[in-house]
Amino acid sequence: MIEVQDLSKHFAQGRGRKARVVQAVQGLSFRAENGAITGLLGPNGAGKTTTLRMIAALIAPDAGRIHVDGVDVIAQPALALSRMGVLSDARGLYPRLTARENIVYYGRLQGMTAEAAHTRADALADMLEMKPLLERRTDGFSQGERMKTALARALVHDPSHIILDEPTNGLDVLATRALRESLRRLRDEQGKCIVFSTHIMQEVERLCDQVVVVAQGRTVAEGTVPQLLERTGHTDFEACFVSLAFGDTASRSVGGAAS
Amino acid sequence: MKLAWIVFIKELTDALRDRRTLLMVVLSSVAIGPVILVALSALIAGMEQRAEAREVYAVGMAQAPTLRNYLERQGYSIKEAPADHELQLVSRRFGDPVLLIPKDFERDLAQGTMPVVEVVSASANQRAQGSVGRITQLLQGFNREQAGLRLAFRGVAPSLLQPVQIEERDLADPRARAAQLTGMLPFFVLMAVLYGALNAALDTTAGERERGSLEPLLMNPAPRAALVLGKWGAVASVGMLIAVLSSLSFLPAQWLLRSETLAAMFQYGMREAMLFLALLLPLAAALSALLMAVAIRCKTFKEAQANSTVVILAVSMLPVTTLFNQEGEKPWHLWTPALAQITLMGRVLKGEAMGAADLLPPLLVAAVVTLLCVAFVARQLRRAAVR
Repeated sequence: MIEVQDLSKHFAQGRGRKARVVQAVQGLSFRAENGAITGLLGPNGAGKTTTLRMIAALIAPDAGRIHVDGVDVIAQPALALSRMGVLSDARGLYPRLTARENIVYYGRLQGMTAEAAHTRADALADMLEMKPLLERRTDGFSQGERMKTALARALVHDPSHIILDEPTNGLDVLATRALRESLRRLRDEQGKCIVFSTHIMQEVERLCDQVVVVAQGRTVAEGTVPQLLERTGHTDFEACFVSLAFGDTASRSVGGAAS
Repeated sequence: MKLAWIVFIKELTDALRDRRTLLMVVLSSVAIGPVILVALSALIAGMEQRAEAREVYAVGMAQAPTLRNYLERQGYSIKEAPADHELQLVSRRFGDPVLLIPKDFERDLAQGTMPVVEVVSASANQRAQGSVGRITQLLQGFNREQAGLRLAFRGVAPSLLQPVQIEERDLADPRARAAQLTGMLPFFVLMAVLYGALNAALDTTAGERERGSLEPLLMNPAPRAALVLGKWGAVASVGMLIAVLSSLSFLPAQWLLRSETLAAMFQYGMREAMLFLALLLPLAAALSALLMAVAIRCKTFKEAQANSTVVILAVSMLPVTTLFNQEGEKPWHLWTPALAQITLMGRVLKGEAMGAADLLPPLLVAAVVTLLCVAFVARQLRRAAVR
């Protein structure tokens, strides 16, 4: 279970006279249960990536608390990280290493033995249907192949919590479907706590048990898709999201333009 | 520590798999020292050959039997210069200076009216210019002999004209003399080490940022110190590998030396190779850390390359100060990285004695630089990942 409470983060941009403060996240809270997929849905620049980076202990929040399975991420980052598999926005691989070596390297960094890491790489390759890729160098991999390798790398230590930042970015339909299927299996068969951020409505509708709508660094709404539809009185989830994220005026103008 | 070892193994594998870059480094920097040594020896061998040939090219030597007699007594054979020697000298096709003997040489000599003998050469023609001194000295010898004969004829002791006898005594031992020629070799070795470490250093820092693999790397529970230590260890190992290769490359290069004098003077054995390594290995460690510290602030490999130019320039310019500096070695030279190594490697080549007191300052400086830079990279790592 991941609990985020009143998270805030600002960045200082530029220097001298051009300096300005960007409030990326302000008072964001949500809770992601085990055995469920929680979607962080928000427009570009809503603070999704910053939030996930804070959960992954990459940047320290100005205020707020993050707990992963009761472990305070800020106080004990290493312990928290060993329970999380993070697929971040940046998912660079080492081009001169094979997919297997990329995966095993992360396993070793997580404290696994070489043997255990190799076994796990094989198991993950089975699950993600990337067996033929395993012994190839990642140089020249397609987006989908890269994505699979990066996901396997993030999951190598069999974490109970999986965090994905816009995982379907740059993937085609088939790769997206395969990823969705993998996430469902991770949830249903292993009861993982999965959090992913996206700005794509379809993803959320098809996959999420729980949706957290984020706009301008705040939690705007939280609930299942039917709950959110009911709350806004829309039948179309896109319209529902727009009205939640940008307010009703924007929703109507968008709706008007469409009709 | 175990984690640092894992990072080290991975980074080293990664760097060694970059075959093309590694090959270029080995070819361009490791091979260049021996190649220059061999080229140098060929040049000296050519010069020696010409000196040994003892030939003088002249026009109109038939008009100067006295001079001819002198030259032949000195063991020189006289050859007729080609008719278009001026053109050939200018266009560097002809490699010897030419003596021009005036028509009335013998008569003027007898009358004491100083005939003019011209030594024709072109200063842009290095081959010919190299022999001008030798020919001029030969003619001076002729002058001295003639003068001595005339004085003796008049019953005057030659010591009147030459109150002091001058004899040169060269204290330099043959290796020190050779070091004038081989003095540039330490510089090439140093640059080889620098270029060897450069690519690996940039790849593990700026390259990692550019690929977007630094952020996921930091989402492992491994401490940053372990990551940086492993990375630095791998980069330093590559630099050290190049150092070992280039230091040892002079051993076989010696067999290729064509000039016997140079071969006799350039004594480079296992002892010298080991001393080179004792100087270069700490430097490789320090330069690796320094390059990483420069590159970690850069977002892309290209930007890092531009920034590391400063380091490369500094390392390559420092030895030049010894060229401009006529006052000899100063104490601070041994406390300046790169300059210290060049100075001491030069001493090794000259065969000069060197104690622990000389080796200590550069070692100490290298250790401090390494420590500071590694700590800096560790501190910058997280900030670099998210920016």
